[in-house]
Amino acid sequence: MKGYAQDWIIDSRSNFLINIRELFAYKDLLFRLVRKEFLSSYQQTLLGPLWVLFQPILTVLTYVLIFKGVIGLTTEGVPSFPYYLTGITLWNLFSELFLNTASTFSNHIDIFNKVYFPRLIVPLSMVILNLIRFTIQLGLVVVIVVYYHFTANLPVDFFRSLLSLPAVVVVTGIALGSGLIFAVVTTKYKDLNGLLQFIIRLMVFVCPIFYSLSMVPGKLKWLVNLNPLSAQFELFRSSILGTSGIDHGQFLYGFIFMLITLAAGILIFNKMGDKLIDVA
Amino acid sequence: MIKVENISKRFQLGTIGSGSLRRDLHGWWERSVLKKKSDFDDAQNGSQFNGKREFWALKDINFEVNEGEALGIIGRNGAGKTTMLKILSRIIKPTKGRIIGRGKVSSLLEIGTGFHPELTGRENIFISGHLLGMTRSEILKKLDEIISFSGIESFLDTPVKRYSSGMYVRLAFSVAAHLEPDILLIDEVLAVGDAEFQKKCLVKMNDTTSNTGRTIIFVSHNLQAVTNLCPRCLWFDEGVIRLEGDSRSVVAKYLSRLQEKVWKQDYNTWEIAPGNEYIRMVSVELIPHLDDPEAPIDIRTPLTIRFRFRNCQPKVNLSVDLLLFTISGECIFDIQSKAVVLNNEIVEGECTIPGNFLNDGSYYFSLYFVKDTSSELYAYNECLMFEVADFRENNNWYDKWWGFVRPNFPLTMKRNSDILLNLKQTELF
Repeated sequence: MKGYAQDWIIDSRSNFLINIRELFAYKDLLFRLVRKEFLSSYQQTLLGPLWVLFQPILTVLTYVLIFKGVIGLTTEGVPSFPYYLTGITLWNLFSELFLNTASTFSNHIDIFNKVYFPRLIVPLSMVILNLIRFTIQLGLVVVIVVYYHFTANLPVDFFRSLLSLPAVVVVTGIALGSGLIFAVVTTKYKDLNGLLQFIIRLMVFVCPIFYSLSMVPGKLKWLVNLNPLSAQFELFRSSILGTSGIDHGQFLYGFIFMLITLAAGILIFNKMGDKLIDVA
Repeated sequence: MIKVENISKRFQLGTIGSGSLRRDLHGWWERSVLKKKSDFDDAQNGSQFNGKREFWALKDINFEVNEGEALGIIGRNGAGKTTMLKILSRIIKPTKGRIIGRGKVSSLLEIGTGFHPELTGRENIFISGHLLGMTRSEILKKLDEIISFSGIESFLDTPVKRYSSGMYVRLAFSVAAHLEPDILLIDEVLAVGDAEFQKKCLVKMNDTTSNTGRTIIFVSHNLQAVTNLCPRCLWFDEGVIRLEGDSRSVVAKYLSRLQEKVWKQDYNTWEIAPGNEYIRMVSVELIPHLDDPEAPIDIRTPLTIRFRFRNCQPKVNLSVDLLLFTISGECIFDIQSKAVVLNNEIVEGECTIPGNFLNDGSYYFSLYFVKDTSSELYAYNECLMFEVADFRENNNWYDKWWGFVRPNFPLTMKRNSDILLNLKQTELF
């Protein structure tokens, strides 16, 4: 090396850690990818970005019809529309981000095979994209809550609502972390893609989206509590709608779970990312 | 400046690539728990792709490129050229060794990477530019230049899916041509696009090497372009550097060595012979009519193609098509034989292409076997590849000679006085 003013080295070692400076150098790409995804998903559609709002509304109407109308589930004294809407909004964030991140390699292998950039840029762009969508949907939640405040006397408390932020952070973190792990695993083993779909379908029922933890019978409670997302959904809803029950221990469990999956996800993604290009 | 030290790259076929968790778990169970020999993988994938099979795409590569130098890399398909470029551009990791270097690296392994068909040309300039490592301000600064170089100003706000393939390539290359890295890595990207635009790009790249001290590593099958653009050249062969040196001499040796290797293919056993239940190949052979057996095939050389195959079904009314393609896949010709009724027997076919017909370049043959001149029984694609070297006398044109063929039809010119003489004879004057 002596005698050479060199500024980069390529060798067989892969980095575990994030190279913040390198990520920062690609920030223009990051935002361009967000823009590309957003623009391209609404090309040649009738309603364009309005779908971001229609999708949760249609889902809520279905839930109201089935869970309230047919099955007759109660909603803790809160009108069913805002009750289901809060759960679905947070659920959309988790499921979309998780699935988008998990398909990082399968959706971008053509690009990964032809140019180098920090691979973490792609999942990060998914985080930004989904948080933008989430914010738009949250606007809908605010409108609906204010409407019910005036028509049905739904209690609104701005400062209590801020407590929903930690729940959003933890849900985003878990979606990203577990998505990164699945991105690596499903690229290596394609048959695990089936598992992915199964997990998402299962989670809809294991997360308290259309029910509350207080409605779960004691014998089954451990199952819902095992899910690190449960407390986040409860916290999110209770902070916005004033429903009961924030279990601090459960929230902490979710938070620690997030730290572990996020750390593991980034490590595995960085370590295996280079090798996966060989086999993907 | 780049210094490549002992770079090796191993690809594992089988273990990682098997792609099924069940198979991997089963393999692990058999090997580690039951202590069986791993015949599982063999049975699953065929012995060619068992768990232990690995493939060294690069073996202990060492070379240096100086600042401002343009280095060419040539070699057959699968020689490791692209793997080398992918390691240099950090897309894949080397298995061993290291590369140290200085300066910003950009790589062009493909034209239009990341282009989104639904988005406009303008939007795609930015996507492509960022992917190639340009920042927003760099792109904005050169936007006008990029647009005018591409020559598609009026379609800039049209989705690129409505572009013709030529426009697509122009736009994609214009972005790439305005990169300003210290080190530029280029793979076979010039193979696309029309000849005129290719030349424009070559000129643009030539500019940059001589003016701004940019380092270029250029991988190409276009040997003429390599010799024109790069003074020095590496010849990769089966993962090692076979020869290094002055481009003209390396290219000349590459041509003569490359050719003798693939001129004949014999399929001695039934198992390895390509074919199906109708047709089995026995051999394919290219016989160049050369005075000096050491010399490479060039544009003057007549070529005979001789092939043998077994027709496996009784009473087939069979004809054979011999197709010649350029390396980029354009068909030059399709010659069909007369149909013959064949039983289960071995048949030999032969065809001779005269000298002074093909242009220089890389070509391959394909053989199609057709029943009743209409239904295809078997297509033996890419059965023989060969290169035709250039030969020019008394000519100052160094660029690639245009055209798929280069026939020597007489083209004569007459002096004015002769024409007048002729015209007088027809009594028009």
